[in-house]
Order: sequence, then C-alpha cells, then structure tokens
Amino acid sequence: MENVLIKTNHLMKKYGSVSVVNDLNLEVKGGEIFGFLGPNGAGKTTTIKMLTGLLNPTEGEVFICGYDIRKRPIEAKAVMAYVPDQPKLYNKLSAKEFLILISSLYRVPKDIAQEKAEQLLDMFELQDRSDELLESYSHGMRQKVVLAAALIHQPKVILLDEPTVGLDPASARLLKDILQELAKQGAAVFVSTHILEIAERMCHRVGILNAGVLIAQGSPEELRRKIGHGEESLEDIFLELTGGKESAELIKSLEEE
Amino acid sequence: MSFLQDFNLLLRNQVRVSLNSLRQRRKRSLVGILVISLIFLSLLASLGSIAYGTLEAMPPQAAQGFLSLLFMVGMASQIFFGITAAFAALYMSDDLELLFMSPVSLKAVFAVKSLSVLGSNLLIAILFAFLPGIFYGLLFQAGAFYYFLVFLVGCGLWLLGAALAELINILVMRIVPPHRSKEAMGFIGAIAGIIIVLVVQIPNLLLNSQEDMNIGSWLTGKEEMLEIMNFFPWGWASLALVKGISGSFLAGLGWSILIVLLSVLLFLMAMILLERGFRQGFISLSQGEGGRGRKKHTSQIKNKNSTADNTLPKYSFIYADKVIPQAPSWVGTWAVAKKDLLSLKRDTREWFGYLMPLTIMAFFVGQYLFTSSKSGFSSLIAVLIMYTIMFSGNMALQSFGREGESDWILSSVPLAGWPVVWGKLIAAVLPTLILMEALLVGTSIAVGFSASLILLLALAAVLLSLGSSSIGLYYSIHNARYNPDKPQMRISPGASFIMYLTNMLFLLLLGLSLSYLFPPVELISMVESIPVLKFEGGFLSAILYVLYLISRPFLWPDVFRIMLGIILTGGVWSLIFFGFMAATVRQSLKGFKVEYVSNRKIKRKL
Repeated sequence: MENVLIKTNHLMKKYGSVSVVNDLNLEVKGGEIFGFLGPNGAGKTTTIKMLTGLLNPTEGEVFICGYDIRKRPIEAKAVMAYVPDQPKLYNKLSAKEFLILISSLYRVPKDIAQEKAEQLLDMFELQDRSDELLESYSHGMRQKVVLAAALIHQPKVILLDEPTVGLDPASARLLKDILQELAKQGAAVFVSTHILEIAERMCHRVGILNAGVLIAQGSPEELRRKIGHGEESLEDIFLELTGGKESAELIKSLEEE
Repeated sequence: MSFLQDFNLLLRNQVRVSLNSLRQRRKRSLVGILVISLIFLSLLASLGSIAYGTLEAMPPQAAQGFLSLLFMVGMASQIFFGITAAFAALYMSDDLELLFMSPVSLKAVFAVKSLSVLGSNLLIAILFAFLPGIFYGLLFQAGAFYYFLVFLVGCGLWLLGAALAELINILVMRIVPPHRSKEAMGFIGAIAGIIIVLVVQIPNLLLNSQEDMNIGSWLTGKEEMLEIMNFFPWGWASLALVKGISGSFLAGLGWSILIVLLSVLLFLMAMILLERGFRQGFISLSQGEGGRGRKKHTSQIKNKNSTADNTLPKYSFIYADKVIPQAPSWVGTWAVAKKDLLSLKRDTREWFGYLMPLTIMAFFVGQYLFTSSKSGFSSLIAVLIMYTIMFSGNMALQSFGREGESDWILSSVPLAGWPVVWGKLIAAVLPTLILMEALLVGTSIAVGFSASLILLLALAAVLLSLGSSSIGLYYSIHNARYNPDKPQMRISPGASFIMYLTNMLFLLLLGLSLSYLFPPVELISMVESIPVLKFEGGFLSAILYVLYLISRPFLWPDVFRIMLGIILTGGVWSLIFFGFMAATVRQSLKGFKVEYVSNRKIKRKL
C-alpha cells in the first residue's frame, strides 16, 4: 500500500443487468503517469467518475491516498483534482473568478490563491482574457481553465479524462510537460486518452480497458514483451488486444501500399 | 427550376422535422399546452364578446378606428412573437451551417426559414386579422365579396407582420453576440411572458371598471388619432373592410391590393437581406463558442505566441510553496453564494425570475391605487407576505438546477453539506429578501403602519423567506434539472407543485401558531360559541375533536395563550427551517446530480 495513491478493489459498475466496468483492480503510485486506454464505450469515463466519487460503484472500493472515496469523500477530494472530458464551466464567471472560486472551495488561503491564479493564467496564456466571462471562451481555452483549476490546490492525485481534446499542439505539449512535472513532484497522474502516441511517449504504465474489463496493464515495453511481437507500436498492441486486429492489418496493408 | 426543387425538398424536410418534434414531445407537455390553450381561448372568447358587443353599438367611423386598433395590436404581437420565431429559426438553428455547406440555393434555404416564421405567426394573424374581419362582416351581414377582401387583408397583414419581424430580427442578430443567443431568446421569451400576464389581467381590469369603460365613446373622442391610423397598413386594412361593408367594393379592393403588394415587397426584401447578411458575414452563425468578442483578441494572442521564445515555461511554481488548506469553511460558503449571485446579476434571463412576480405585484399595487379602500391595505400586505413566501420558495427551487452541466464542479470539490447548502441559501434569499422587504416596508410606510408593526412585518418576512427557501432548497437538490434548450427550466413541474403545497402547509401551521399570539376578535367570539365536544369515536369525530382541542387555547388566560403561541411559532419555524436544511445537507453529503432533460426524454447524467 506504500506510495500507492490510487487503488481500486474489484470495482464494478452495472446499469441494470449491463456491466459497464467489471472487477477492476488498479494501483497507481505517486510519481507515476498511468495511461488509461480503451475503445469508445469501454468504460473509461465511468471508471474515472467512480474514482472521483461522482458515480457510486455497484461493487468494490476506491482509495485515493488511502481514503475510501465513499466513506471519507471530503478528505479524498481535498487531495485530488479532476479534469473532465467536456469543460462545462460556470459561463457567467470570468477565468480569474472561476479559479478563485475553486481555490475557495478547496480552502486555499486567499492571498496564495490570488498568486497561484495569476501564475497559472499566465502559464496557460490566458492572462489577457482572464477578466472575460467564460461563455466567450473557445473549447480549448475552457480546457486550459479547467487544467489551471485542477492545479491550484497542489493535488496529489490528478485524474484527466481525454485532456488533449480541443487543445492546440502547443497547449497539448504544455499539458504533457505539466503532467510530467506533477509526476516528478510525486503526484499520481491518471489519464484516459485516445491518442496512443501521447500514452506511449508520456505514460510510465498503461492499462487497456475493453468492454469494462482491464485486459492488460504495464509499461509499453512490458506490453510489447507480453504480446510477443517485439517491435510493434502501442497502437498495434491496442488494436490487437481490443479486437481491432482486422483493422490493424488493414492499416498495415495500407501503409505497405 | 433548381430553386423550386430545393425549396420543395427543404420545405418537406422542415415539415418532417416539425412533425417529428411534435410527435416526440412528452405527453405531459402536450397536456400542458392543451390546458394553456384552453385558458387562452377562454380569455379570447371573453375579450371577443366584449369587442363584438362594442362594435354593434358603434358609429361607422369609430368602428373603423376600432378595427385599425385591433389590426395594430395584432401587427405588434406578430412582430414581437415573430422576432422570437425568426431568432430561433435563423440564428439558433442547428442546421444552418449544414445547409450552407450543401449544394442548395441559399434563397431556397431562407425562403423555407421565412415560411416557418410565417407559420409561427399564423395563430396571431387568425386572431387579430382574419377573425375580426369575419365577425365584422357577420355583424353587418356582408356579401361574399367582402370575405374575399377579408382574405386579402388577412394575408397581407400576416405577411407584413412576418416580414417586419424578420427585418427587425436582422438588427437583433447583429446586436446579440453568438454566445449570448440563448440568453437573448430567454430574454425575449420572458418579455413575451410578461405581456401575456398583463393581457390575462385585462378582463379583470375591465370587469373592475366596467361602469367607466366604454370603448365606443372613448374612440368617438379620438377622431384625429384614428385619422393618423389611415397612413399605416393597419389603417388601410380597416379602410378596405369598411369600404367593402359599405358597398364600395372597388375602393376596398384597392386598399387590399395595396396591403398585399407592400407585404410581398417587404417579405422579399427581408428574405434577400437575410441571405445577403449571412453570406456577407453581416450576421454570423450562432454555432461555436466565442464569436465577435473573441475576434478582438485573436491578433494579440497570435502575436504573443509568435513572439514567445519557444522555451517552455517552468512549472516548478505549481508545487513551490506548500498550499495548506486552512481557510475557514465560511470562505467556501461565500464562494458558492457569490458564484450564484454573480450568475443572477450577469444572466439577463435570471432577472425575469424577479420581474415576473414584480409585474404581477405591480398590478395589485396599481389596482389598490385605483380602488383605494381601507380593506385594500390589509389585503395588499397579505398579498406581499404570500408573495414573499412563494417567491422565496421558487427562487430557492432554482438553486441546484443552476449548476446545470457544471454540476461536476461542486460534486468533485472537498466541500459538501452545510457550507454548500448555506451558500445556496444565501444566494437564494438575499436578492429576494432585499426586493420583498423593500416592497413590504415601502407599502407599510405608505399605508401608515406604526414603526413597531413595520419592524414586526419585516422580521416576519425574513423568517418566512428563510423557512420557505429551506423547503425550496430541499426540493431543488432532489429534483434539479437541466434542459439545454430551456436552461431556465431547472425543476420538474411535479416537484414544484409539491413544494408549493408544502409551503402552504408551512403557512397554515405558522398562521395557526401566530393566531394564538395575535388572535382575531371574530375568531375568539366564534370559539366562545362552540359547545363542549367529546370524542365519540370514528374518523370524522376525531377530526372535529382535534379542531375543538386546537380552538381551546383561544379561551385560555392571555399569558398562557401567548406562551403557547411563542413556543408553537418558534417550534414550527425551527422544525421546518432546520428540518429541511438538514435533509438538504444530508443529500448534499451523498452527492447531488442534475437530471439532464431534453424536450423529448429525460435521462440521468452518468
């Protein structure tokens, strides 16, 4: 249990008789970036929502920094940050007001919150428009605001659901660097993504979820060894494991042509 | 030929879309529409019968003026409601971008969109253009040719109303930035709501002042104003019908054709201007975020990016100084309240939540001023108190639904329970109280109440508002909804109804407790006359016996009665306020979800 900041025990979510996430056992340590991969509808977002406490699991447990998310949600949420796939924010607040609001909700002292907000807005190049209402922001800019809000209270665990959607290449690179910095500082980073290149280059370990079942986990090298094809990319492994072999072969044949 | 083909294709598609959305409507909303239609029709029938009776006794010139006025009101309604329809059909339409990218004639696109605006104005045209003409003909037993004139005049006014609405809408679309289009729709819709509320009050006012109200004599004294009407299309329409009735068919036809020609011309002009406006970028599509507001800054941002040295900034500051979450929890409470208050201030649609009851109340105040009587004073205060309760409950009912799609934020932060619920309560109560207290105290001063009574009323309003808001919050956290098409619809109608009933019960219990403190003389004399009652078994006897027991303290010595009153009033208020607050807090700790609703179906957000 030492340094394990995210842990799930036999996590399961069912809607009626349909099982969306099935017997999920995960461990993510501090200083680790964990890539959570899976095809559409695999149960990634459901899993992340269970990890954040937004959704109650049908069975199983979630521990964040040792706190059971259902029994001690306030303590768990205090050390965690969540970046959803859609940056739905309070449209009638400015970016600066939003960051101050979030820091107040995390009980960050006001003077520190002001300073952090300024620094984060500057880092995400939002300073020029920080007093404008969020309703006038583009998707990418809102995404940056959510990321800034996630960092303002120095989380030990950060959960990101498709964080690169809507970001321009420079911002995506910025995000990647920030996540690496977070890991360097000892935080556990849990990121779900469709972009396998990001997972391959950034994540220390990846887990592949298919139809609610974790079918593989390990570092990209470990997965390559397990699958046993040596030089294959993570994309090939992913397609092979998630039943997309035909697609993989099709892509390969197209590349050969 | 291509235009006709495209037009035909798009029109069929538009009809299919309209029919599908009608079919997909939930049964409950159809029942609601039916009930509202019945109320509306009965209102119109009463207004119509007044108008019909007035026309009968009117001299011809006054009748012409009356028709002009009716047509003018119809035209104003068509323009007003047409702007909303045009705004929805053009600016907020989901399919415009797709249609612009398709190989169809843009003229056909706008022709179909304009037709849908015309369709949405049909009811108003029937009520204010066709029906008055038909009834006028029936009243004076006109011949068949007259009804041909009614048809021409009706079509002309209908087309004209839609054309003017579209032309004004072009300006509205230019003014409103794309990201505030939904807000603008809500704003226009709220104004429409207030107008409807005011219209609904007209029969009431007419009945109250029936003796003084004589439209005929009022019009007879306004010949000059009526002559000015003849310079406008609604005056031409009235002239056409009056000429038609009096046998000058050719003159009637001339005026009718003039209206039709003008309306066709304006309609074509509106269509062409719309098409050009969109094509040349004068009007932008509402799709996408940002819009004009963003464009101003694009160059700045680009410059910043291009001039930035490509070295990425350092991020060590994120963890540089250890952030210790030591701020007191009231900071979180105030943050929640402030967020809601800012939203109330900045979203124009929110203001109408306040304007609607204020408008209705203005009617009561107006009515009181016109029929100033002693009994009116106390009833006005009673109305204000009732409104304070209902209004507070209603504003609190919106609280958790206001989170909308952003409900994940409050659910994922380490703040739940009392701090959140207090924050929501402050935001719900503060603006309501300021408004209601101002009205209550202002009215009390105007009425000439003593300072101590005014203070007592103000304190009562605070307590009532808090109690009612706690009930509202409880139903809000359990029944919060979000409808992207109607963002102001934040609660299920059933929950809203139950909240009102609960509030009524609260009021009843509080009223009973207060009556021990301030017993009305009439009640005491009535209680004194009740004979001694004994419980004889059975349900009815049990109810009678309970009522009998409740009435006994009125006969107690004053000290005991007042003590009981204080205990009961405090107890009822505390039980309701803290009970509902605690229940809301319990749900907040469990986590709350805003139900995602569309016009068609309801689904729980996952």
